[in-house]
Amino acid sequence: MRYLLRRGAWTAAALLGVSVLIFGLVRLLPGTIVDILAGTEGRLDPAQRAAVLHQFGLDRPLPVQYGLWLWNLVHGNLGWSFRTQQPVGELIAARLPITLELAVLTIAVVAVVGIPLGILASVTPSARVKALAQILGLLGLSVPTFWTAVMLIIIASYAFHWLPALIFVPPWESPWTNAQQMLLPVTSLALGLAAVVVRMTRSSMLEVLGQEYVKVARAKGLRGLTVLLRHALRNALIPIVTVLGLQSGFLLGGVVITEQIFGLPGLGWMLLNGVYQRDYPVVQGTVMLFAVTFAAVNLVVDLLYTSLDPRIRFE
Amino acid sequence: MARSDSTGRLTRRQIIAGGLALGGGFAGLELARGRGLSEAFAAAAAPKRGGMLVAAAEVDPVSLDPHTNSNFSSAQAYEHVYESLTGYNDKNQIIAMLAAKWEIQNGGKTYVFHLRPNVKFHNGQTMTAEDVKYTVDRVVDPKTASPWRGWFDTIEETRVVDPLTVQINLSQPYPGLLGSFAGMRASGIIPKGLAERENLKIKAIGTGPFRLVEYVPQDHLTYARFADYWDQPMPYLDGMTFKILTEENARLAALRAGQIQYAAITAQGQQQLQGAPGIAVLRNLVANVTLHYINVARKPLNDWRVRKAMRMAVDTNEVIQKATFGAAVPSGPIPSGYGDWYLAPQSLPYNKPDLDGAKKLLAEAGYPNGGFRVSLYCSPQYPEYVQTTLVVQDGLKKLGIDAQVQQMEWGAFVADHNRELTTHGQEGGEIFCSGNTFRPDPDGYIYPYFYSKGPINDGGYSNPKLDPLMVQARSIFNHDERRSLYTQIQRTLLDESPNWWWHVKYNIDAISTRLHGFEQSFTGRRFLLKQAWLA
Repeated sequence: MRYLLRRGAWTAAALLGVSVLIFGLVRLLPGTIVDILAGTEGRLDPAQRAAVLHQFGLDRPLPVQYGLWLWNLVHGNLGWSFRTQQPVGELIAARLPITLELAVLTIAVVAVVGIPLGILASVTPSARVKALAQILGLLGLSVPTFWTAVMLIIIASYAFHWLPALIFVPPWESPWTNAQQMLLPVTSLALGLAAVVVRMTRSSMLEVLGQEYVKVARAKGLRGLTVLLRHALRNALIPIVTVLGLQSGFLLGGVVITEQIFGLPGLGWMLLNGVYQRDYPVVQGTVMLFAVTFAAVNLVVDLLYTSLDPRIRFE
Repeated sequence: MARSDSTGRLTRRQIIAGGLALGGGFAGLELARGRGLSEAFAAAAAPKRGGMLVAAAEVDPVSLDPHTNSNFSSAQAYEHVYESLTGYNDKNQIIAMLAAKWEIQNGGKTYVFHLRPNVKFHNGQTMTAEDVKYTVDRVVDPKTASPWRGWFDTIEETRVVDPLTVQINLSQPYPGLLGSFAGMRASGIIPKGLAERENLKIKAIGTGPFRLVEYVPQDHLTYARFADYWDQPMPYLDGMTFKILTEENARLAALRAGQIQYAAITAQGQQQLQGAPGIAVLRNLVANVTLHYINVARKPLNDWRVRKAMRMAVDTNEVIQKATFGAAVPSGPIPSGYGDWYLAPQSLPYNKPDLDGAKKLLAEAGYPNGGFRVSLYCSPQYPEYVQTTLVVQDGLKKLGIDAQVQQMEWGAFVADHNRELTTHGQEGGEIFCSGNTFRPDPDGYIYPYFYSKGPINDGGYSNPKLDPLMVQARSIFNHDERRSLYTQIQRTLLDESPNWWWHVKYNIDAISTRLHGFEQSFTGRRFLLKQAWLA
């Protein structure tokens, strides 16, 4: 329990640091919402520009702006988008399920496909399978997600004359349509990540399988599968779980390109647009949400360690 | 009193001739309308009611506010919902819309509009002069911060004469006012008080042929047929859905799969679609002239000979090939295809590069081997502008000029350009690649930029001989006189090169062969979907 409290305090401090960082970073970007509103063809004269800046509270001193935003934030108010005047909380709530579904499905597919493949690659005697695993691993790591995404669209439409429905349908409305819509994006995201997991699983398993206690288990007469799964895998999982935990953070951010290419109205795409439009509340709110999620996921990962390796304890 | 409307458009012959003349093989081989015979046969049939059009938009509208938006994609989204006093037809001529007729009095300083009776808004209200006054007042109010207020800056007062008559008094005669309303960037008529009651960025109540059903930002827009639309029997479609697909490959795939019946594509996309069944391609010149704004306050760009020499060294044809895949036509300050105001592409001065002439001119200006450094800004969010600038860089290098291309994110680009404008060229960049889209009056391409006290004059360009001509051209109503003035002004501007003008592209739309009646507009907008129907 004390561990959790201490951990909580550290997390809060880290989140505070993130809030200052994102508040400052987004204001370092050249140009403000006023420049976006005027574009290159329309024009706003100095009086109009000042009026717009005032309307958005951007003419107040920075510490005041930060203080107001933070105060609202801890009270659950994420502010209003500069661009559409909609509450940021609503915008996020509408889009979070999509990004979440994308991220969760990707992690699930990667775990379900990547870990067994990695185990297979570590125990197989066949040199060919080993080589295949190496090659696929390298391909998965080197090929960029956006290329895979576009190729999948092209292959689906040219070769199979098929594309999922255009307007996003959540899984509770129509699971079948939703599954179709998630198929290509999840595949493009999972390919790269699976390659990492296969390699990690394979090398981690190899290391564990070379350990003394595995030899002991075999000498005791335990069946191969039991040794593999109950003893070796549990220990090999620690670095894999770490990687998956870290990757989930990257996934949340990395889905931006995927969302844009497949036209999924998710958080990543909203965040990117927010940056382009200098929509400070949207950017700040979304990044804080990512930070909180990341912190939570890593807490779960750390707690998982204790169940995977009883030697690990928290003081 | 003669009205100054833009008549006619560039005929197919002229477009092709212009394109061919520059080895635009691609442009020359295509017909402006790529439809087959059977398609033309079917089009002769009568319009049918019904059907949902599913289309793709290539950019998110960002905001649906008809007065404060600055994105062209916004206009493309709200134009089905809002209308104004005047509008455009398929030949880019100004026609009566919510105003049935008008008189221009008092030497051009007073416009009296007689509104169409019994026009309904989507909420059931009837449109009256009060709504028009409310709308115009909102646009003209500095607090609204409309980026297009400049189109209406001659308006002094809007008066309600009776429920169907509005009088607008100007500070000086201005022939472009009808165009300013037709342009629909800041003139959609809204019910009185609407802006205070609703968030117009995501909701819309207008008089247009379609009601806005739903706008999910960055995802899609849904429209439904407005049964009480004043211009019966239009619209024919039951509704439209525009899904936002920024990735062109996704749009092409959706077209091929038959999921969408309309999408804007590029020349490369058109090539990929060749042979695809059930898809027709429309091409039309669109008012969007690619250009470079030049900060003429900076040395040596303050010397017209330097600017002109730099322009002479660049191969316009190469720009067109690399930036638009050959799907464009050279242009002067007023975009090619705009009524009869533009200079014929074959007659433009820089169609062939002239390196020797450029070197001589540069030497005269005191830079015999170039020897100076210049920065060209562009944004990768508009790859066409980047390509154009890279070709320019090549040409400048041949003159011995150290031309640096700097790519910036669009927001940063806009911010820097604004800084350059507000400091009159003292700060900010030197050369910016961008484009001018549709202006309701040719004056919009000239006066704000090149009049010595013009509001968006990069670096303070000033030609005392041109100033009175510009002022005159924007205050007289005789079409032929205006035309001859703009011809003279454009020739001088091309000579002195305060901007470099390159080309006007083709707007390429891929449509299903089931979609009939749709025509592209030189404005680049899609308002003629109201006359479209699905077979």
